[in-house]
Amino acid sequence: MPTINLRGAQKNYGVNSANAVSDLDLEIRDGEFMCLLGPSGCGKTTTLRMIAGLENLSGGEIRVGDRVIDSVADGIFIPPERREMGLVFQSYALWPHLTIERNTDFGLRLRKLPKAEREARVERVMQALDIAKYRDRYPSQLSGGQQQRVALARMLAVNPGVLLLDEPLSNLDARLRLEMRAELKRLHKEFKTTIVFVTHDQWEAMTLATTIAVMNEGTLQQMGTPNDIYDRPANRFVAEFVGSPPINILTFGKPGASDIADKAEAYFAARYPQLRGIGSIGMRPEAMGYAAKLEDVPQGSFSGEMTVTGVLPTGGSWILELRSENHTLFLTTHALPRVDSGDRVFFHVPAEALHVFDADGQRITEADALLRSSTYN
Amino acid sequence: MLWLRGNIMALLSETAKVEGLVRKPVATPSAWQVWRYRLKVALREPTTLVGVLTALIFTYLIVVPIISIVLDAVRVQFGHERRLGKDVGDLTLYYIDRAFFSPVAHDLFWRPLFNTLTVALGAISLSLVIGTVLAWLISRTDMFGRRWFATALIVPYMLPAWTFALAWTTLFKNRTIGGQPGWFEAMGLTPPDWVAYGRFPITIILALHYTPFVILLFGSALRRFDSQLEDSARILGAHRYQVAIQIIMPLMRPALLSSMVLIFAKCLGEFGVPYVLGLPVKFEVLSTSLFRSIASRQTGVAGVVAASIMLIGIITLMIDARLVREARRFVTIGSKGSMNRQSRLGKMRLPATGFAATVFILSVGLPLLTLALSTVMKMPAKFTLDNFTLDYWIGTDLHTVALQTGILLSPELWAAAKNTMMIVGLASLVSGVLGLLVGYVVIRTPVRALSVYLRQVTFLPYLVPGIAFAAAYLSLFAVPRGPMPALYGTVTILILALIADQMPYASRAGISAMTQLGKDPEEAAQIAGAGWFRRMISIVIPIQKGSLVTGVLLPFISGIKGLSLFVILAVPSTDVLTTYSLRLVDYHYTQAANAVVLIIAAIAYFGTLLAQKLTRTNLAEGLGS
Ligand SMILES: Nc1ncnc2c1ncn2[C@@H]1O[C@H](COP(=O)(O)OP(=O)(O)OP(=O)(O)O)[C@@H](O)[C@H]1O
Ligand SMILES: [Mg+2]
Repeated sequence: MPTINLRGAQKNYGVNSANAVSDLDLEIRDGEFMCLLGPSGCGKTTTLRMIAGLENLSGGEIRVGDRVIDSVADGIFIPPERREMGLVFQSYALWPHLTIERNTDFGLRLRKLPKAEREARVERVMQALDIAKYRDRYPSQLSGGQQQRVALARMLAVNPGVLLLDEPLSNLDARLRLEMRAELKRLHKEFKTTIVFVTHDQWEAMTLATTIAVMNEGTLQQMGTPNDIYDRPANRFVAEFVGSPPINILTFGKPGASDIADKAEAYFAARYPQLRGIGSIGMRPEAMGYAAKLEDVPQGSFSGEMTVTGVLPTGGSWILELRSENHTLFLTTHALPRVDSGDRVFFHVPAEALHVFDADGQRITEADALLRSSTYN
Repeated sequence: MLWLRGNIMALLSETAKVEGLVRKPVATPSAWQVWRYRLKVALREPTTLVGVLTALIFTYLIVVPIISIVLDAVRVQFGHERRLGKDVGDLTLYYIDRAFFSPVAHDLFWRPLFNTLTVALGAISLSLVIGTVLAWLISRTDMFGRRWFATALIVPYMLPAWTFALAWTTLFKNRTIGGQPGWFEAMGLTPPDWVAYGRFPITIILALHYTPFVILLFGSALRRFDSQLEDSARILGAHRYQVAIQIIMPLMRPALLSSMVLIFAKCLGEFGVPYVLGLPVKFEVLSTSLFRSIASRQTGVAGVVAASIMLIGIITLMIDARLVREARRFVTIGSKGSMNRQSRLGKMRLPATGFAATVFILSVGLPLLTLALSTVMKMPAKFTLDNFTLDYWIGTDLHTVALQTGILLSPELWAAAKNTMMIVGLASLVSGVLGLLVGYVVIRTPVRALSVYLRQVTFLPYLVPGIAFAAAYLSLFAVPRGPMPALYGTVTILILALIADQMPYASRAGISAMTQLGKDPEEAAQIAGAGWFRRMISIVIPIQKGSLVTGVLLPFISGIKGLSLFVILAVPSTDVLTTYSLRLVDYHYTQAANAVVLIIAAIAYFGTLLAQKLTRTNLAEGLGS
């Protein structure tokens, strides 16, 4: 399927309500596995439904290639049944009165395919998703995970150009979830379908997506590869939403509020006087190290002395909780910690791992180059 | 130097990326463009078109007749031009003056109004007292046979109210009117008129008939009630009766008020009972007064009375709507699945069971038994073997003026039965289908105004007592108007009126079925590539099969029992079972009339059971609405 383009897409459900989605620009390229990521109520489902045509726009337009399929200004609306897209509902939405086989078959019958081909295709997806043995059952006789595979099979059978998935894994247990993730990745490869996947689980997004679009309150915050999103969050929202434990934020311009923040402010004033208008900085727990003695702190990194107040094992790695007089930080380490609650330690972060945001929370991109260069001098 | 270049590159690519995000915004569409787009989306599918069509149909079938009768009340009617010195159709206050202020106003309006109100109040008080006790016994105590009583005590509501009126006359009729005497009279105990006819029996019968309302509504409120609330009060040291008065009663108030209001609205439109029991002593209520005005062709006055009944009905049900809203506030208190413990009755267990049994015997057993016995007895109250006969059911060559065969062999019964099946059946079928369509449009149309209008217009007949609605139909369709020929005396007017009258139930059933279905299955079909008609045929209708069946069956049952619409709109050639039995009453063929009523009651009862079985629901849910 050619590139899908949303331009200024907007959705407002009621006269007096805020926009569920406002001014959304989104580009979904052929063969892409895109994740829409964001907190609950940020407009992910709405976006998906607008693409599928189940929700009409309040403004803006949607194109597929150079064909406009939905546009308020041009008065164009292609109905969902003619958009040739597949959508797997969060609730599965299987037809309760049809057997599994008939559910899978439904779209093919509509397309008036010859019987032999229909059967072959149904057989193939049913095998691929391991539901062939339930073919004569009704949806109510299947478990949640099985139903969800039927919902997928139903869409894959017609082989749509793009597959829209609305949190399809949220109802599964951890093991099934992992299996289905692998399954999805395999299907993506095998059927070469463009996939748009909605989730609010960041790990799901990180592991599956080729591109992630982070949304908040109906607007797009950032679009990029999983690494982009993690390493260069475009603003504080993205920085704080992605990552667990969450990024440590130090807010500038409030002297006395936090000793660590004051320290960071002094650090920046001394080393990067040319950087102005810093509102806050962020340090990922994973990017931080710690040392028992000041001598062991690497040159040029930002550091401070704090007390260990907790060592939390998380299976293969540990989270250290550090406290100073009026600040708490989290730090992740993969090596068995040699410290205990009550010990004094020096945390340290290399300058290049610091994220610098302006007063509005936007990333100061000039700072990135500057901080990186300083690491080497 | 190398790192410097690298950094500059990084800087450049960074800004490029940011610019990539902040593209030139799409111009905001003009109001006209937005409107055109919305119209396109709305007209893309037949939903809106179907909605507009049904809205038009119901405007014509529901709104126009009501307007017509209100206009009748203020316009000069045919035959009064001379007296009023105006042309037919001119505005006049004459009828209002006549109905409300003239010397005959007392007989036409005020006395019937007073009677209606007092009968209703009496019935409400009595049924509240009996109903609340029974509801509590059934839902919160260890009375014997609770389960059985829970169903058995609802039976009166499944039967037509005037079944009981006929049973009453069979027992208590005295020599004031002709025909066979009642059983007591026959045994030499002449019941006084006040026992035999008028206010007293009407009140008693309506009370017994509507007690199931209280049992259902109050009972379901009691079941929702969390006994932990009771317990916390008890722990704080309150006595049992204090708990009842200070905790339970206030929380139950909405349910109580709601059943009061519903009973009142029903009493307002009740025709059969006051017709059978009031007429002999000229005891009139609003519905019988309206009937008399229509029968004597006093169209203008009939308009005033009908409009008054509607107004009272509308006000009452608006009060009810408020109460229901208020009740919602309370519902949250008792959470679902909350504790609901039974009180132990102790040594009151047997007397309590006796009380429930007595109510059952008085409200179901005795009346039905009386009716059944009366149809196989030649002389009333003579319990000797030679007095029993099946002649009234299957006899031939009886020595009567008319009806010389048993009722089952009489062609009139079968004609009436055929008419009933055809008229009520067709009307129920149409209203069931229309109800589902309305439900579909109301839930699905993107045009909000259409959804709201359809929902309200189909609900309107609920606010108008059947007798007033029938009068409205008579007013609109009695004469040819435009392309519409005069329909009075035809089957068509009956079917149309029935459809309109049943729409509140049909559309509610449709709306709730569609709400429960949700959008998902249909949207999934849409995604799979199914257009509107395909979705209707392959998805919506198959899934909704069950509710479609009930949507037809329930109106059918209420149509079979229905009397007030038919009594005004039917003529002898379009007799249905109900009007036929009423005619038999008028001619004093007691046994035959009772037999027909028993047939109707049986159809209604078994039909209700069937509907309950099919939907696996309880009548209570349908009632609470
Ligand atoms: N049919 C609707 N009518 C009115 N408001 C709606 C409707 N559907 C969604 N909204 C509102 O639009 C906003 C976005 O909703 P949406 O369902 O797209 O969120 P989401 O990102 O999918 O959330 P979740 O992760 O919880 O599924 C929410 O504030 C929601 O309340
Ligand atoms: Mg969602």
